[in-house]
Amino acid sequence: MPKLKVNGKLLDVDADPETPLLWIVREQLGLTGTKFGCGIARCGACTLHVDGSPVRSCSFPLSQAVGREITTIEGLSENRSHALQQAWIAEQVPQCGYCQSGMLMTAVALLRERPRPTDEEIDFAMTNLCRCGTYPRIRRAIKRASGQVFHA
Amino acid sequence: MSSTAPGHSSKRPTGGLSRRLFLRSTALAGGGFLLGYALPARAATLTGAAAPLPRAGEFALTPWVRVTPDNAVTIIVSQAEIGQGISTTLPAILADELGADWDAVKLETAPFAPAYRNPAREWMFTGNSESVESFHDQMRKMGAAAREMLVNAAAARWGVAADSCKTIKGSVVHVASARRAIFGELAADAAKLPVPASPRIKPDSELTLIGRPLPRVDIGEKSDGTARFGIDTRIPGMLAAAVRTAPTLGGKLRSVDPASVSGMPGVRAVVPLEKGAAVVADTYWQARTALKKLALEFEPGTDLDLSSASLRAQYRHALENGPWATPVNAGDAATALNAAARTVAADFENPFLAHATMEPMNCTASVTSDRCEIWAPTQGQELAFVTLKATLGLNDDQVQVNRSPYVGGGFGRRLLPDFVVQAALISKAAGRPVKVIWDREEDIRRDWYRPATMVRMTAGLDKTGRPIGVTARVVSPTILHPVFPLIEKVLREQGIDPSALEGMMESIYDLPNRRVDFHLFKTSVPTSVMRTTGYGPNVFAIESFIDELAHAAGLDPYRYRRRLLSKNPRVLRLLDRAAALAGWGKPLPKGHGRGLAVTEAFGSFIAQVVEAVVSADEVRVLRVTSVVDCGRVLDPGIAKSNIECGVIFGLSYCKSEITFDKGAVVQGNFDGYELPYLAETPELVTEFITSGEKLGGIGETGPVPVAPALANAIFAATGRRLRAMPLARHGLRLGLVRPPKGKGYA
Repeated sequence: MPKLKVNGKLLDVDADPETPLLWIVREQLGLTGTKFGCGIARCGACTLHVDGSPVRSCSFPLSQAVGREITTIEGLSENRSHALQQAWIAEQVPQCGYCQSGMLMTAVALLRERPRPTDEEIDFAMTNLCRCGTYPRIRRAIKRASGQVFHA
Repeated sequence: MSSTAPGHSSKRPTGGLSRRLFLRSTALAGGGFLLGYALPARAATLTGAAAPLPRAGEFALTPWVRVTPDNAVTIIVSQAEIGQGISTTLPAILADELGADWDAVKLETAPFAPAYRNPAREWMFTGNSESVESFHDQMRKMGAAAREMLVNAAAARWGVAADSCKTIKGSVVHVASARRAIFGELAADAAKLPVPASPRIKPDSELTLIGRPLPRVDIGEKSDGTARFGIDTRIPGMLAAAVRTAPTLGGKLRSVDPASVSGMPGVRAVVPLEKGAAVVADTYWQARTALKKLALEFEPGTDLDLSSASLRAQYRHALENGPWATPVNAGDAATALNAAARTVAADFENPFLAHATMEPMNCTASVTSDRCEIWAPTQGQELAFVTLKATLGLNDDQVQVNRSPYVGGGFGRRLLPDFVVQAALISKAAGRPVKVIWDREEDIRRDWYRPATMVRMTAGLDKTGRPIGVTARVVSPTILHPVFPLIEKVLREQGIDPSALEGMMESIYDLPNRRVDFHLFKTSVPTSVMRTTGYGPNVFAIESFIDELAHAAGLDPYRYRRRLLSKNPRVLRLLDRAAALAGWGKPLPKGHGRGLAVTEAFGSFIAQVVEAVVSADEVRVLRVTSVVDCGRVLDPGIAKSNIECGVIFGLSYCKSEITFDKGAVVQGNFDGYELPYLAETPELVTEFITSGEKLGGIGETGPVPVAPALANAIFAATGRRLRAMPLARHGLRLGLVRPPKGKGYA
């Protein structure tokens, strides 16, 4: 039975190797913070990390994930302590909230690559969809977490 | 990971952070230093679904407040949290009146029960931007009633007068004797007292929560993946189902061959449906994998010639030929038009649109021959309840409708019960609890669309360019009927859909002779409510047309509107403020333009200025300024986010549309039905004006003026008048607000 390393833990997975990683984490591992939105890698609601890079897991087969480090929103921090989660709370980013796990995971990868991203870099990296339109607060939260917005 | 079935609340981490952890995590983020605040160590949280009746040890003080002896205070949330922030604002109104300790309050989402109906409609639903307007007084009254019950219990215990006691942060206090009792100590006694019919309502000056920007109760759980949406529901013994229905709108199932998927991993059942079939399996992915192999044949239905072109021709025929109902006939528009120095006329078109909530339609159902329980991300608990009862032939006490604590977008789509009933039928056929998940294609192609409309505006102008008579002809399918079947009689006898006439019935402008004709357009395309309902399409026509009249009169569109608003100081004030904030009249570079729209919507008023730049086929929306009067603002943070995010929703009405070909919906996913991206998001400037008038709605107000204000900005920039949306109809598209350098952008 293949083992999958998710959020630092080795877990047994019993599924067809072509199963998208999204449905493995949601249904087999019960990590439901990662969301299903479109199934064609367009909306980004299913974004998680594979070896630190953002991946749209609805279109990423289990077979490619075996032996690699997978991080989901649940593994981002304990107690919402990641700087981006704190910024998300401080800027009151979410509305309906469904896209926000994917947004956060995408933003985490962005800051890893670009610790102080410009507006253009945020534009380029944050291509996830938010139907509620929380984009202005997402931008501010990324800037806050990267030390570019100062507030009392 | 363990999961909790709805109906059983679980305590969640509140996000409190030690300073040490806070600094460490900040350092890990890549060197940035963070100044900011976390949620308080304790904070009101929405913990799950409420039990239909108080649990053992819970004492009910009205249907809205439950208190345990160990002082857990729970407030019931009647309205669906679809992102609008209602699960913060309504309970805060109640908690403020009650004198509860807001940071320690628990919130639970209401089951369907008459007590939680919208008191203005006697119907349980979340929509029409009216939750605050309809529930505000009720929340105040229920908070006050619970407070008086606690105070009376304390006063009796202490032998003092009730009016010498008050509530402070979760305790009843007798100031003179310095006695204090927490709510939990008093709950058992208080619950035995009658609920006061006319409790004293606090003066607003005693309120400590309302009017302030509260941290939303749902933010923490939505920032760490623990928020439970409908799609995350788990109940014991649950299977999962994937469905496919006929590609054509009128299509039905002809045949399905379960043998085609028998033996596939996890497959438990194939359930034929009227329009398609479901595969039920151990996991959703197994169900979906089998669905792709399922041998399905469809009857295509009779309307195979349906296309966007054929629909447009039918609309056009109706616009020319009626017949018409005439819901507005003020003064004498016909005579005024005949007497006019000149007349101006223009036809406007609004497209079909899909809700495209980020959480696709889904529902978990557990149905047997004599019992139906469902867990759904729904805005329409009562319609789901009555439809389930009728479909399954069950009684009131055999049906329970639970709403998931969080709902991944609504916009009106989730007022419909179709996906709920489908899940119930699949569960019943499979003989097991089943979670049904629609894929995105099913979600978009089985929507109840925001209807396309055509509107013909005609005005007669006097010599100064002032309109002395205005007529509007509106061709629209029904909006209201699918979510409010009782309107059937009005549709049939009067030929009028009140939702489709929103924005047309009254005018903010001084227009003495005004006539509105309405044609209820019959179509096989399912249509219903979508954020902005009738206001969106009608205001697109009205505010674009007012701009045309200003141009015809040779006047600046802002000055022109000012003239027509001379008798409406409330709206004039908004207009002036929006114009000032947006720098109206200040010179702009070539290719740039500002456009204005102002309207009433959902009981509020909004003036909006769009600044855009057009280069080749790209429309870059640089800035949108909104000034709003919703009477008064109960939570400035939540109100602002509703308006600003609403503006972005309004841009989606300019970006994409649903089209039809050969009897079917063309678009099926976000590749064909594109939503705005972050990079297309303008700078947003938003202000509220507190008039102190009656509370109005804000959930749907922000998007209403966007399309006309953008069209007017494009006219100002280019001289091109867009009388239809989306932009693609004119060979235009939304562009990046910050285009990459060195590519010849203006």
